[in-house]
Amino acid sequence: MTFDTVNLIPVLPEILILILASAVLLVDLYVKEAEKGTLHTLALIGVALALAATLLVGGGERQVVLEGHYVRDALSDALKAMILIVGLLVFVYSRDYLRDRGLATGEYYALALFALLGMMVMVSANSFLAIYLGLELLALCLYALVAFDRDSQRGAEAAMKYFVLGALGSGMLLYGISMIYGATGSLALDEVAAVVAEQGLENLVLVFGLAFLVVGIGFKFGAVPFHMWVPDIYEGAPTPVVLLLGSAPKIAALALAVRLLIDGLGGLQSDWQGMLVILSVLSMGLGNLLAIAQTNIKRMLAYSTISHVGFIFLGLLAGTADGFAAAMFYAIVYAMMAAGAFGILLILSRRGFDAEHLDDLKGLNDRDTWYAAVMALMMFSMAGVPPFVGFMAKLFVLKAVVDIGMTWLAIVAVFFSIIGAFYYLRIVWLIYFDKPTTDAPLTDSGGVRVAMSLNGLAVLGLGLFPATLLAICQAAFL
Amino acid sequence: MLDNYLPVLIFILIGILVGVGPLVLGYFLGPRRPDREKDSPYECGFEAFESARMKFDVRYYLVAILFIIFDLEIAFLFPWAVALEGLGMVGFVAMTLFLGILVVGFIYEWRKGALEWE
Amino acid sequence: MGFEKFLFYCFAAITVVAAGMVVTRRNPVHAVLYLVLAFVSSAVLWLLIEAEFLGIVLVLVYVGAVMVLFLFVVMMLDVDLAALRAGFVRFLPIGGLVAAAMAVQIFLVVGPANFGLEAFPKPPAAPAEYSNTEALGLALYTEHLYPFEIAAVILLVAIVAAIRLTLRRRPDTKYIDPSAQVQVKKGPDRVRLVKMPAEGKVETP
Repeated sequence: MTFDTVNLIPVLPEILILILASAVLLVDLYVKEAEKGTLHTLALIGVALALAATLLVGGGERQVVLEGHYVRDALSDALKAMILIVGLLVFVYSRDYLRDRGLATGEYYALALFALLGMMVMVSANSFLAIYLGLELLALCLYALVAFDRDSQRGAEAAMKYFVLGALGSGMLLYGISMIYGATGSLALDEVAAVVAEQGLENLVLVFGLAFLVVGIGFKFGAVPFHMWVPDIYEGAPTPVVLLLGSAPKIAALALAVRLLIDGLGGLQSDWQGMLVILSVLSMGLGNLLAIAQTNIKRMLAYSTISHVGFIFLGLLAGTADGFAAAMFYAIVYAMMAAGAFGILLILSRRGFDAEHLDDLKGLNDRDTWYAAVMALMMFSMAGVPPFVGFMAKLFVLKAVVDIGMTWLAIVAVFFSIIGAFYYLRIVWLIYFDKPTTDAPLTDSGGVRVAMSLNGLAVLGLGLFPATLLAICQAAFL
Repeated sequence: MLDNYLPVLIFILIGILVGVGPLVLGYFLGPRRPDREKDSPYECGFEAFESARMKFDVRYYLVAILFIIFDLEIAFLFPWAVALEGLGMVGFVAMTLFLGILVVGFIYEWRKGALEWE
Repeated sequence: MGFEKFLFYCFAAITVVAAGMVVTRRNPVHAVLYLVLAFVSSAVLWLLIEAEFLGIVLVLVYVGAVMVLFLFVVMMLDVDLAALRAGFVRFLPIGGLVAAAMAVQIFLVVGPANFGLEAFPKPPAAPAEYSNTEALGLALYTEHLYPFEIAAVILLVAIVAAIRLTLRRRPDTKYIDPSAQVQVKKGPDRVRLVKMPAEGKVETP
């Protein structure tokens, strides 16, 4: 057995995150209560270092290291960088909220960093084993984070639901993986792909395994009919945790789907395409329709997530390189929009008060014009109004679907997104045309304004000039 | 190879026999004349005051889960110890890293006072 | 071969029956004990396919540790038995349907058609000194080194999460700190001599 330390170079981002997360955990034990701010700084440094490392070791030929469990390619570079950028936003936005409620402990930062690590492991996984362990690492951190506010009964209930349904989803995934392992005799994705190309639909075990995989992926994305957990968790969990679990994990879930369905079981595309069509149509429909009825904005955004997941699936089910690139573009863009929207909710919250009703957004324009503009921008973008990036994302996805001749699906998607536009625009209406119910100051110390501005400008700028990001996405599926 | 386990199987069978046999014998041979007083719950001569079930302190759970984690660690150590000769330096470093990560957790739980029973 | 097959069916039957008992028992403690039985008999199934290490680990980790945790949880919850039973009949049809679907599906998939001796021929008998624990070790710490280290991180997360969610300081409990007790010095820590002025004559009535 030979082992080369050169093999570890592509894994540098993960190693850095692991070291910093452990450091946060240990530093927390030795700093005084007044100096807990260092943890925040340390976490930011960790994510920034990992981001730098990702860009440093990224680019160039696809590398497979660590006995075939780890892959670094264009897809993993782009997704990891985006996960880390969103991670940075999450930490910046949630600092005040956590500090005001005494939640800014070492555990929060450590668990959040480990969650990022889990996502990165998923993105770079090249075997069923690595992908499943990455997923579990992410999920365990998120379960704990949802229950992080120990005195909140809603949080505990949400965590319980999340845990039970998440475990069910993981179980389905594992069951599917075990069947595919049985049928192909390998856990490595490329070997599985080779066997699948050979056997194809002949093998009943593969088909059943695939069905369970798709169910598992549906659970992890929160696609209808496996969406039951999404609204309750979004409503019950502390807002910073919702910010974390509603944004970057969508990118990781995309990686999960791409690695499993395309890298591993690309040969069964005709099978999973039909399942994804069902998931996609149901998600877009139910998500958008139920979102209209919500008065709790976290719940509304939860249903909105479900509908966006439907759109991501549209790109995947197209089965072409353009479709995959469009889905990736969509997932990245959605993560940014979600980060911005939940970030605004955090700014509106203050000590002893959580902004979570639509009414709390009333008259935001009178309280802070800039944040009102950013929130409106996020909402327009989620609704798919040109020229914002959400429109471009929807456009690429729809184009991919039309290209494979499923025009009816594109029409359904457009129809539901027009329905969906209503509730996004209602928020814009509340922000600009209603009187504020309170004039309490907004909480945005420590670079929140800068981060939020960058976030908003990115949503606008990428909408006007989507070519670069699209090129990155397309390069991942060459 | 499975022949080696034949004594274990016989042992299990005898164990079941010795454990279950007397119960069965007692069931069939013993006199049983139940009445209402004999069957009613009994607490030092009084009627039962409350349900026998009571809430356990969550601290037992914490101890148990910390035990499981280090139990698993031991489970990982067995095959490592057996195969160490063939693994060489790589295996040694791999286990050092594994234990190092868990030592971080150990320091954490020690300093947090999770191992103390107040 | 015949006797092994017989043993397999015996222990497989015990596993299935015990698993059935787990979900139908009224008393959660009994359910946990049946789960222990299910684990032990599946450990025997591992032994029958000569995977001794996995069998022992199943007993060691699941029966020895996880089930103890389960018992704690069951006792901690103070379960209302009536409430637990309430949904049983109501959910029986749908539960039965799912179970039947799973059974049919397993029957279709894990049959001789897919996993028969033609697809998976019997491996040659291992030599006498063959140790599958060693084989497992050689594979786990080289080929699967990366998943192995991720497993360490998952265990670390489990430690952090468990402590964060359940550990609370209790300032109101009175307890003795043994290390402080041991460190008591002979002089001033134990006995304190206090000089007091003698009192005047006490009037006795």
